[in-house]
Amino acid sequence: MQREEKQLDSALEAIIMRVNDLKTAIAAMIFKIEHEYETLNWPNFLDNFALISGHLTSLSKILAHDKAPNLRNLTVLPLRLSPEKDEELLRLTEGRIPTFAHDLVPDYLRTKLEPQAEQKMMQLEAKAANVNIETSHKQLTQYTKVIGHVWDIANKAREEWESEAGARATQAQTSSAADTHALLAAVGMGKGLKSDSIQMVQSGVNSVNNGMMVGRPGNQQQTPGQGPMGNPQMGQMNKAPSAIKTNIKAASQIHPYR
Amino acid sequence: MTAPISTAMDSLSAALKSNIIPNQEYLLQGSVLDTSVEVLLHRLRGLCDNVDTGPEPFYDHEMCFSIRRGSPQEQPLLLRVRRALDAIHSDMPWQLRYIGQPELGDKSRPTVVRSSIDIATSNTVVEFLTELGCKLDFEYVTRGYMFRKGRMKITVSKIFKVNQGKVPEGVPEMISQSYLVELSVLAPSGQDAIAEDMRIFAEQLRPLVQLEKIDYKRLVH
Repeated sequence: MQREEKQLDSALEAIIMRVNDLKTAIAAMIFKIEHEYETLNWPNFLDNFALISGHLTSLSKILAHDKAPNLRNLTVLPLRLSPEKDEELLRLTEGRIPTFAHDLVPDYLRTKLEPQAEQKMMQLEAKAANVNIETSHKQLTQYTKVIGHVWDIANKAREEWESEAGARATQAQTSSAADTHALLAAVGMGKGLKSDSIQMVQSGVNSVNNGMMVGRPGNQQQTPGQGPMGNPQMGQMNKAPSAIKTNIKAASQIHPYR
Repeated sequence: MTAPISTAMDSLSAALKSNIIPNQEYLLQGSVLDTSVEVLLHRLRGLCDNVDTGPEPFYDHEMCFSIRRGSPQEQPLLLRVRRALDAIHSDMPWQLRYIGQPELGDKSRPTVVRSSIDIATSNTVVEFLTELGCKLDFEYVTRGYMFRKGRMKITVSKIFKVNQGKVPEGVPEMISQSYLVELSVLAPSGQDAIAEDMRIFAEQLRPLVQLEKIDYKRLVH
């Protein structure tokens, strides 16, 4: 018998603790709504909800525990009612209930729902009981369908949003470092701007030299003599036979490895 | 009677000493591709001061002259002459400008700093420079828009080649497929606070344009 009482005490203590947690969480949220409604943002507000739902879960976990006493089987009996102001009670209830009198006790010790709510519940239950199975099934499928649609829409929106965000990350290039350098070299040092004729001659020589280098990697000695004289036509003429030469060379190079 | 006769040189050096001549240019440079220039202009229109009047267009011809100082190993002195080509600004004076070597500084410095001195001149400045022994090094035409934001100047311009001192008609040859973007402030030396404002402004143009400290030494190759 004593052991049971002890168990009940500890269980009640745990429950009261959880309920207090829940109460402070709700109070904090009310405080936030009342005082920080100007700066409050949704994520913050939802965090509060998450906190409250966490407390509710832990409370229901305690209540559902095997070792928890079945509170339904216990009765609270008001032994003495008094219209006098009770300071102790006022302190315990944080100033909410000043007297333990007959007009307040039925409300506070009530274990059922409010009469109005109770009536409404009963009506709804009666209505639910009256609906036949087929129509309820129909409604159920319809409901699932609607939910499915909403789910699809939400998913689609998310996909679009994500792809858009992705596109923004890999946005088309709007500037190029190479162009910046080209422009600054031109403006700052005249690169590519200095007298056109010189540029043309230089690039012409370069192309001839390049052609030769590609053509005959081996005999470079001949080229310096021809380079400066070389006009584009000569470059062209040199290119053709040299290409053949390369082919022959390449073929002969392959042999030793066979 | 005893008061010294002050010359122009005296007042100039006095002005230099008291740091009131804006001879330092704080500079950030970048470029934007032709395809995105409209977006940039739009953004600048919103960010800058001249919202009501719109951006100021310009069309200038710049000639860069060089003159040897002493030994040929030494870096030649560069002088830039600039003139407006468009009809609206045709009565504006020509501009002669000296730009010093850019100082990059360390990472803590947000912009390049270079000394810059400019002066308005008559249109005979080219003959004057030639007589002095200056040689035309290169020239180009720049066409674009100028924006202002407080003391900051932002130019978005296209650089075109110039042929034999004449601006080619029709479609001139341009340097790269991008517009040059420059953010600069002219200030007396020692006003480094403006550089921080420039850094913040440049940040607002990212990632459209990367305005950076460009090291000219790295461009020579």
